[in-house]
Amino acid sequence: MELISQIFGGVFAFGPIAAMIGASILGVFIGALPGLNPVMAIALLLPLTYSMEPLVALGMVAGIYNGSMYGGAIPAILLRIPGTPAAIATTFDGFPMAQRGEASRALKIACWSSAIGGTASAIALMTIGPVLARATLYFGPAEYFWVAMFGMASIGVMVGKDAVKGLMAAAFGLLLGTVGLDQLSGTPRFTFGEVWLLSGLDLIVILVGLYALPPVIALAEDRDLKGLSASALKLESVKVPWGEVRSMVPTWLRSSLIGISVGILPGAGGNIAAFLSYNAAKSTSDDPESFGKGNPLGVAAAECGNNADNAASMIPALTLGIPGNVIAALVLGALMIHGLQPGPQLFHQNPGLVGGFMVQMLLTSLLILAVGGAAATRIFAQVQRLPGVMLVPMILVLMAVGVYVINGRVIDLWVMFAAGIAGYVLEKLDVPLAPIVLGLILGPMAEQSVRRALLISRGDPTELFTRPLSAVIALATIGLIVWPMLRAWKRRRA
Amino acid sequence: MKYVALALAAVAVGTPVLAEYPERAIEVTIPAPAGGGTDTSARKLGTLLEEELGTSIAVLNVAGGGGSVGVTQFMMQKPNGYSLLATWNSPITTVPQVQQTAYQPDSFTPIASTSETAYTLCVKPEFPAETGEEFLAELAANPGKYTYGNDGIGGTMQLAAERIFQGEGIEAVAIPFGGAGETLQNFLGGHVDIYGGSISPVLPYTESGEAKCLIVTSAAAVPALPQAAGLESLGMGDKETLLWRMVLAPAGTDQAIVDRLAEALEKTVNDPSYVEFLATKGEVPNVVVGDALAERLQNEYDALAIVAENLGLNQ
Repeated sequence: MELISQIFGGVFAFGPIAAMIGASILGVFIGALPGLNPVMAIALLLPLTYSMEPLVALGMVAGIYNGSMYGGAIPAILLRIPGTPAAIATTFDGFPMAQRGEASRALKIACWSSAIGGTASAIALMTIGPVLARATLYFGPAEYFWVAMFGMASIGVMVGKDAVKGLMAAAFGLLLGTVGLDQLSGTPRFTFGEVWLLSGLDLIVILVGLYALPPVIALAEDRDLKGLSASALKLESVKVPWGEVRSMVPTWLRSSLIGISVGILPGAGGNIAAFLSYNAAKSTSDDPESFGKGNPLGVAAAECGNNADNAASMIPALTLGIPGNVIAALVLGALMIHGLQPGPQLFHQNPGLVGGFMVQMLLTSLLILAVGGAAATRIFAQVQRLPGVMLVPMILVLMAVGVYVINGRVIDLWVMFAAGIAGYVLEKLDVPLAPIVLGLILGPMAEQSVRRALLISRGDPTELFTRPLSAVIALATIGLIVWPMLRAWKRRRA
Repeated sequence: MKYVALALAAVAVGTPVLAEYPERAIEVTIPAPAGGGTDTSARKLGTLLEEELGTSIAVLNVAGGGGSVGVTQFMMQKPNGYSLLATWNSPITTVPQVQQTAYQPDSFTPIASTSETAYTLCVKPEFPAETGEEFLAELAANPGKYTYGNDGIGGTMQLAAERIFQGEGIEAVAIPFGGAGETLQNFLGGHVDIYGGSISPVLPYTESGEAKCLIVTSAAAVPALPQAAGLESLGMGDKETLLWRMVLAPAGTDQAIVDRLAEALEKTVNDPSYVEFLATKGEVPNVVVGDALAERLQNEYDALAIVAENLGLNQ
C-alpha cells in the first residue's frame, strides 16, 4: 500500500502531470508530421530535463512516445502518408475510409484502438514484465529468423488479387533491403561506391516516398479547387454505434497480445507489430475481401498493435537493462542520470521512480483519448477542407522537410522522389506496395538472423528446426500460411 | 597533466589575438543519429560549452556508414572555427580500414579528446577460467570452440578483441550483433559464449553473479570490474584499444582558435556535472590535445590496420 501511494504521489504532482499532457500533445504532432519521429524529439528534449524532477522527464518521454504512435495514424488515414513507419498498416484501410468520407470515423477508431493497445501494454509492463523479460532470453538468432519469417508469411494476405505481382513486389522489397554494408561480412552491397548508401536505404525515406507521393500526384491530377465542404466532412455527427465497438473487442484483444509479444523482443518494432496484427485480423475475419477497402477492423488492428508495442518495448530495458530500441535506451540514460543502475535490480533501487514511469505509460495511453479524440482529430480532419491545389504544395514541403531532417542529407530527397515515382507507376500497374515494405523491413532481419544462427552452429542448418522454441515458431509460420488456404477451401466447399 | 599545462600555456599566449572568437554560433557535426552514446555526450557537453564560450552551439546529426557519411560531409566545412566535429574514434581509426573513405586520421586539426571507456570480455560463471590469464589460455587451447558477440563486423570492439587474440594465437568465432544490448541478450540467453562490448550494460550481471568479466581492453584494470585483468598485467599493455570521444576541426584551422577551443573543452569536460554524467555511462574524462592527440589517432589507426589486415577485412 505504501508503495502504491508513493508511486501515485509522485506521478500526480503538478510537474509530471503537466509534462505528460504537454508531451502527449507534442507527440501527436510529431507523429503526424512525416519524418519527425519520437526518437528525435526525445533525444533533443531529454538533455533539457536533466536538472528537473526525474518523473517530469519520464512523463515527457511517455507522452511523446505514446502520442506519436497515435499521431502517425492521422496523415496515414487522411493522406495515406505514414507519419511513422508503424502507421503503414493503418493506411491500408484508413485511407479508403477517408476517401469514402469517413475520415473522422477512422480517426476515432484509430484513437480508441491506440489507447486500448497502449493501456493493455502498460498493464503488461506493470504486472508480468519481469517474467516476460526472462522469456525473451530464449530467443536467439534462430528464433529471430523464424519471427521474421512469420512476419513475411503475412505477405500472403497482402498480395491482393494478383499473386504473381504481389510476390514480385515482395522480392523487390527484399532486394532493396540488401543495399548497404553487409552486417556480417562487412562487404558493401549495391552501393556503387557511394558512401551514403553504406548504411542502406532509410526505411522512412522510402516509405514517405512510396506511400505519400502517389496520392499527392493523384490529388494534383484532380485539379481540385474547392476541397470538401464542412458538411461533407461529417465531423460532429460521427458516433460509432455500440454494436460496432463490441465487434472490435476481439480484434483489440488479439492485437494487444500481438503487440505486447513483439514489443518485448528487443529489435522487433511497432511496424512489425502493426503488420502482424493487421494480418491476424484479416485472416480470422469472415470477410477477408473487405480488408484493404476500408474495413474499420483493419484500422483498429493496426493502431492497437503498434501502440501495444510501446510499453512492452520497455520491459527488457527496465527489467534486464537491455534496451530494445533507441527510446528505451534514452529512458535508461535518463534513469542513470538520476543515479539508477539499469539491470535486474532497477525496480528495487527506486520503486517510486520506475513504478511511476510505468504508471505514466498507462496514463499517457489514456490521454490519447482526450488529446487525440477530442482535439487533434477534429483539427486535423479539417485538412480535407483545403482545396487540392493548396494541399499538394503543402504536403510536398512537409514531406521534403521531414525527410531531410532524418539524416541531414539532400540525397535522401532524391531517394524519396524516386521511390514516389516508382510507387505511382507500380500502383497504375496494380502492383501492391505493402509487400515491398514488408520485404524491406523483414528481409534484413531474416537474413542477418539466419546467418548469425549458422555462424553459431558452425554451418549446421538443423539447429534452425531442432531448438524447441525455433521449432514452435517454424510450425506457427507454416500454420499461418496454410490456415487461410484451408479456410478458402472450406468456404468453396460450403 | 603535462598536456594540460601545455594547453594552458598555449592558451595564455593565444587568447589575446582572438579576443573576439567566437562571435557567432558554432555548428557541431555528429556523425551518428540523435539519441546514441556519442550524440548524448556531445549534446551535454555542448550545453556546457555554450556557457563557457558565450555563444550558441547548433548540433547537426549526419548518420550513416558507421560515421563515415557525417565525417565525409564535415570535410567540406571551412576551417574557421565555426564548424566542429564531435565523434567517437571508430569513424576515424576503424572505419577507414574496412571502407574506402575520403579521409585519413591526419585529415583534420585535432582539438581535444574528451572521454573514454574500455571494452570488456565476459563469460558465464561456469566457464573454466577465473582470471584473465586462464581465460586466454582456455581460448588458446580450444581454437574455434568459443563464440564471442561483438558490436559489428570490423567495428572497434571486434578489432580490440582480435588485437589481443592475434597476439596470443587465439581463434574464436566472432558473432556480430547490432550493439552491446543485443550482444548482452544473446550472452545471457546462452546463444554466445563470450560477451564482448562496453562495460556499463553488463555491470549489473557481474554483481548478480550471472557474468564474470575477465579482461578489459584498457592497459590498466577498471575498478568497477575487480575480476577483470587490465592488459598491462597480462604483458600486453601496448594492445590497449578504447572507445573514446573527441572534438576535431577541419584541416588548416588557426592555432589560436584551436587553443581557445582546447582550453574551453578542458574546462567543460572536467566540470563536475559532466564527470558525473560520464560516470553514469561508465566513462572517464581524458583530455589529450594538439600533437599528442594527432599521435594518438595515428598510432591507433596503424595498430588496427594490422589487425584488420590479418582478418582480411582491410580495404
